[in-house]
Amino acid sequence: MLSRPAFGRANGVDACGWKRTMGLGALALVLFLVTSGPFVAPHDPSMIDLVNRLQSPSFDHPLGTDHMGRCVFSRLIHGFRVTPLAAFIVVALAAATGTAIGLVSGYAGGLTDSLIMRVVEGFFVFPAIAVALVLAAVLGLGMGATVVALAAVHWAEYARVVRNLTLAEKAKPYELAARAAGISPLRILFRHLLPSMVHPIAVLATFSLSWAILSFSGLSFLGLGAEPGTPEWGLMIAEGRAFMRDHPRLILVPGLTIVAVVILFNVLGDSLRDRLQ
Amino acid sequence: MLRRLGQSLALLILLSMFSFALVHAMPGDFAELLLIERMGGDLPARDVLARFKAEEGFNDPIVHQYLRWLGSILRGEPGVSFQSGDSVWAEIGLRVENTLLLAAASIAVSLALAVPIGVFAAARRGSVWDRLSMLLAVLGMAIPNFWYSLIMVMVFSLFLGWLPVSGYGHWTHIVLPALVIGTSMAGITARFIRSCVLDVLSRDFVRTAHSKGLGEIRVLLGHALPNALVPIVTLLGLQIGKMFDGVVVVETIFAWPGIGRLLVESIFSRDFPVLQLCVLVIGAVYIAVNLTVDLLVMAIDPRIRGAL
Repeated sequence: MLSRPAFGRANGVDACGWKRTMGLGALALVLFLVTSGPFVAPHDPSMIDLVNRLQSPSFDHPLGTDHMGRCVFSRLIHGFRVTPLAAFIVVALAAATGTAIGLVSGYAGGLTDSLIMRVVEGFFVFPAIAVALVLAAVLGLGMGATVVALAAVHWAEYARVVRNLTLAEKAKPYELAARAAGISPLRILFRHLLPSMVHPIAVLATFSLSWAILSFSGLSFLGLGAEPGTPEWGLMIAEGRAFMRDHPRLILVPGLTIVAVVILFNVLGDSLRDRLQ
Repeated sequence: MLRRLGQSLALLILLSMFSFALVHAMPGDFAELLLIERMGGDLPARDVLARFKAEEGFNDPIVHQYLRWLGSILRGEPGVSFQSGDSVWAEIGLRVENTLLLAAASIAVSLALAVPIGVFAAARRGSVWDRLSMLLAVLGMAIPNFWYSLIMVMVFSLFLGWLPVSGYGHWTHIVLPALVIGTSMAGITARFIRSCVLDVLSRDFVRTAHSKGLGEIRVLLGHALPNALVPIVTLLGLQIGKMFDGVVVVETIFAWPGIGRLLVESIFSRDFPVLQLCVLVIGAVYIAVNLTVDLLVMAIDPRIRGAL
């Protein structure tokens, strides 16, 4: 969390109801597109129509067509079911693993703790995406492999935060009381300590989502992640690259979508942090 | 100090085990691929493959194989690339040099923007500088590097025609990639410098400097900034870690022949010896950078020496 700037707090003025409202509205729109995108999209996102390739925006194709005549608008809408969902799975996997490891590490203390923390530090030393790239290659290219690889480099973030929280909670009297009552350590961890950490984990997860979206679309751009033909935003940019001189919209549209969604999750993370902490 | 060196060494050994294990975990039989390579692309018969495996020691215990591999690396003969057939070391040396050049240029761009913006943002909170640093930070975090690179190419190469699209060999080739990485890091660095300088500005010695009549610039650059340097250098070290992620993508887009691009190429062409060595070399450079940062911090602030 070290290098994360706070949005909208340049003057120390704490923001502001309208930002949260806008953020929630945008979130609702994203969720709507994720759940019912296929009903909104005017065309089949993978229908190839070479006669009408590289068409300018029209009433029929609001954002024109790409180099294979596919409707860019429909691909964009369908993309809401690819990158954000993949990012969500990455974050869920990383958060679950990292939280479990962090809890155990902080609670066990001693040698276990210092060993686990050395591993976690190792993950902070090396460049995450490059490691994920190599891991995805080992796991065998493809969507699932990339999701697992991203989660595998991201869990350390949660492990570190949760471990520090565990150390703080462990020192509180209720933990001693639970232990004195003879409750098993596992039960203490998951039923007593974990609930007190839900808020910071939720804040971290919101920021993680934007990281995962950037990373997943980046790897898809490079050729890992989404398989060719998938309406994935990073992949759309990679495909539009050859035509960007004459048809800049092919890379502008998916790129701006990524930026907007990422900013949305950052703003949400900030307002969540302001609210909960 | 010795403990810190020991840690780095342990990390280095772990790293070598990881990059060795990597090839054995990859889909596809390494021995078979190697033999296909030697036979010039023919599929080997089963008994030939079995004999080759026995002769080359692929049936030995994995620990023996690892030690033999490590030995060959240390002797400087890590085998040849599947793709080019050249010695891997020669290739990697050149690539590392190029990446370090790009990294240095990017950090220079980033600091050239971040230091003035960050210091002035601290001196005048809520001013234009402050807002600028915020805007840069938000954009730097939300804009994907690969898209940013394409936009820069579109504007500066395709539309304005000022700079080459991609390539290597002339100084203009490094401008766009360094600008992309540098500006995308500048905002966060500026925010961090701002908060470090703000921290220092409330100290007594700053008041003393002001009261003995020093000008504001001298107080900021001569007194406040040096004392805020320790966390800033530490952050820069961390940022180099994050930066390589951008370097991989940016090198690939701009066809800059660095180690990041080599890594991507070796993954997609399944060139195991090169991939293995890339991982090893990149990791080793990382460990070295982290060690250097810690030593640098010690040099800046003697008080920390005991703590490490």
